[in-house]
Amino acid sequence: MLPQRMKKGIMDNPKKLATLIDLVNLPSTLREFVGQSQSSRLGCFRRVWSYIKDNNLQDPKNKNIVHCDEKLKSILLGKTQVELEELPMLIKLHFPKNQK
Amino acid sequence: MGKLPPSLKTGKNLGLPIRSLFKNVQQSPQESELESQPSSHHSHRKPKSITRKPNTSLTTATSHPSSPPPINFTSPDISAAKTLFNSLATTTRYSSLLNNRFCNAVLQSFSSVSSNIQDSIILLNHMTKIHPSFTPDKFSYHILLCQSCKKPDSDLANVNKTLNLMASKGFEPDKVTTDVAIRTLCSTGHEEHAIELIKKLSQVQFTKPDTYTYNFLVKGLIKTRTLSSVSVFINEMKEGFDVKPDLVTYTILIDNVCNGKNLREAMRLLDVLKEEGFKPDCYLYNTIMKGYCMLSHGGDVLRVYKKMIEEEIQPDLVTYNTLIYGLSKSGKVKEAIKFLNEMAKMGHFPDVVTYTSLMNGLCRDGNALGALELLGEMETKGCNPNECTYNTLLHGLCKGRHLDKGVELYGVMKEGDMKLESGSYGTFLRTLCRNGRVAEAYEVFDYAIESNSLTEVAAYTTLESTLKWLKKAKEQGLAV
Repeated sequence: MLPQRMKKGIMDNPKKLATLIDLVNLPSTLREFVGQSQSSRLGCFRRVWSYIKDNNLQDPKNKNIVHCDEKLKSILLGKTQVELEELPMLIKLHFPKNQK
Repeated sequence: MGKLPPSLKTGKNLGLPIRSLFKNVQQSPQESELESQPSSHHSHRKPKSITRKPNTSLTTATSHPSSPPPINFTSPDISAAKTLFNSLATTTRYSSLLNNRFCNAVLQSFSSVSSNIQDSIILLNHMTKIHPSFTPDKFSYHILLCQSCKKPDSDLANVNKTLNLMASKGFEPDKVTTDVAIRTLCSTGHEEHAIELIKKLSQVQFTKPDTYTYNFLVKGLIKTRTLSSVSVFINEMKEGFDVKPDLVTYTILIDNVCNGKNLREAMRLLDVLKEEGFKPDCYLYNTIMKGYCMLSHGGDVLRVYKKMIEEEIQPDLVTYNTLIYGLSKSGKVKEAIKFLNEMAKMGHFPDVVTYTSLMNGLCRDGNALGALELLGEMETKGCNPNECTYNTLLHGLCKGRHLDKGVELYGVMKEGDMKLESGSYGTFLRTLCRNGRVAEAYEVFDYAIESNSLTEVAAYTTLESTLKWLKKAKEQGLAV
């Protein structure tokens, strides 16, 4: 029943939805990585995830672990290694709540 | 095996290579069940309507090999249309082929792009002048009527004008005219006008709506209005114009209240229709059963079935599917399985909906592997699973902690380009994450978007909240 609840959550909460899909001005570090001055949080997430896939940054033995290259490091708090499950959280850091 | 309702035939399951691995399954019982029900209803009772519509018969006429090239107007420019028709009529090669059907097709095509009914009338007059062997018939005027009903004036002036024009040319509007007008008004969202017009037309015996027209309107109204306002309309029609509701009308109403989970009202309507002297039929009982299913009152479904048998009403495949679905949903899968034999005795064979419902029941019962076995049985009996069947199984296998089987099944689904439903997608993601297979969850996320199963937002929110939940679970030492 989880998905139903979540679907409803999104429907009921246009503000939350907005933080996910509204285009916002990106901070300079992210702007460099994404190559655009504006993006949504969702778009940014997908960009980072496809960057990881395209550059084979996942650990071959444990795919849950990503070895950051210099470029990725610059946007993920300078970590050399992150876990995939942290990714949405880390990206969210670039999208503070009150930004307009 | 048996005839699948068309709504179920959409699956891309045919000819999956990996049959031997997993056997067969498809489509979620809820939707298939609920959809197939009303549709079978209508195929039984409403064989008409298509034949009446002038446009359908016309399009076939234009494709005849010896006919002139079919005309498709793209601009509402009347003078261009006139010129085009002139050139056709003066081409000797074609002029003998310009029969009424073709001319009507020309008119139909123009009226579908024209924004002004006056232009269409001008074209019609022009065609009769240039090509005297064309005598406008009832179809021609129905085409004009259609156009005016698509954009009715607030006081229906243009519709009335077309009706008067028709009458003045010697084609008195009849029941077909009423049907064309009401259907067009309803399907373009002008229910208010449809009510006004149907009342006007009901005053004359010749244009009094038949039950099909009437029920079509009721069905349109109930979608957008409250039950009480529709009841007022039904009453007005009965008292004012002697147009009475029939069993189909009541079934439409009951279907609507059942969909709104208002079974008390359904029961009241059932009493009303009995008072009116109608005997509930199989479709009506199926509808009521569906209502109980939506409320997850499995036991009551069985009661309705027994009542049907008592009243010696022949149950059909939908009855059994609804019954089995209802029982499975309320955790009485063992009883549901018993009905497989009973339905066979009555000459009905389980179809993809039956099997999927049973699998759903087995999974709820914690017997996901049993459901998987059923997939095999289903396939050996020649019944093809659909997307819903696979989704049901994926959900069940994940819930039942058979993740490896689930992953294998997912592989089959991917191979067959099948879509994931949001329910099974969420469960699958969660189970993958719980077992520390986050990377695979990310791939499922990609597939859900690639295959258009879910919107980006829906897929992402599920992923994000699953990961959030995972973090919490880890902190509490609940997950890997």
